[in-house]
Amino acid sequence: MTDKEILDLYKSGRREAAFREIVESYSERLYWHVRRFLCSHEDTDDLLQEIFIKVWNALPGFRGESQLYTWIYRVATNESLNFLQKMKIRSALQFESISAKMEERIDEDVHLDGDKLQRDLMKAVQRLPAKQRTVFIMRWFDDMSYEDISEILGTSVGALKASYHFASEKIKAELEKNLK
Amino acid sequence: MIFKPYNQYFVILSEMEIGKDILEKIGKPSMAVPEGYFDSLKTRLESIPTREASRRPDWAKVRPYLALAASFTAILVIGNSVLRHTASKNQINLADSFESSYVEMISLTNPSTIYNVFESEVEEISDEDIINYLIESGATAEQLAYAGNNLR
Repeated sequence: MTDKEILDLYKSGRREAAFREIVESYSERLYWHVRRFLCSHEDTDDLLQEIFIKVWNALPGFRGESQLYTWIYRVATNESLNFLQKMKIRSALQFESISAKMEERIDEDVHLDGDKLQRDLMKAVQRLPAKQRTVFIMRWFDDMSYEDISEILGTSVGALKASYHFASEKIKAELEKNLK
Repeated sequence: MIFKPYNQYFVILSEMEIGKDILEKIGKPSMAVPEGYFDSLKTRLESIPTREASRRPDWAKVRPYLALAASFTAILVIGNSVLRHTASKNQINLADSFESSYVEMISLTNPSTIYNVFESEVEEISDEDIINYLIESGATAEQLAYAGNNLR
């Protein structure tokens, strides 16, 4: 079902049916999107519940000014970034570094099938500044267009391209250093 | 085909030498989920509207009860103010009475004054009352004579 059909269904009063269609279309995609930010299956599972509760409660206020797709991704991305921000504060209070904690998660993630190089890549992504990391995840992992990312993050396409360029250069440099 | 780390590094390095991007060569890390996870996830997510409905009150249903509760509260407030007004008058009347004024004078630090207050309320028993009691209870003549000698 297309986003337009889902919204028409919602407007017709069949709100729960429309929500079921949203779950059907987006749950798996959003899972991978959030998982790349959090690097943990368990936390992703918990956060997805929160995200879909927010979507359900915010749906009556959705005016269709943006696409349903970008609106849902905006909710998911904001929630993921908020989660990481809280984690960062918790780590700081325990005198720990968030990067070290994320690397630890990657090493201990039993659901990550990647080899050492792929784990190194994930760690390099986690060491990026928040904005570059977000753009890199959305562009490289999620294969999103700059236009969609721009709508989700509210940033210009030019700024996104610059962020992605810096992010990928940093990651490549780090991976090449590891290879030598 | 699975490469051991050393062989994989060698392959990637040689491909990089011919101008290939390291990111393309490494590829996207593959992540896994527990078996049947997405089915159970969808089931849980689809139940959100029902769960949220049970968690949040439906204002249309709650409104009549809220109106009823508001009416009761209004009645209680008005009733309370009326009772307070009339109660203050009653308190003045009570204060005029002997008992209440006397009780208010009792010193809480001196218990003997509390007993003294009630002493005055005990009726005095006369000698005649004692004699009558003894006759009614079947006392002997000796007992009556003994009592008569010892009474005033």
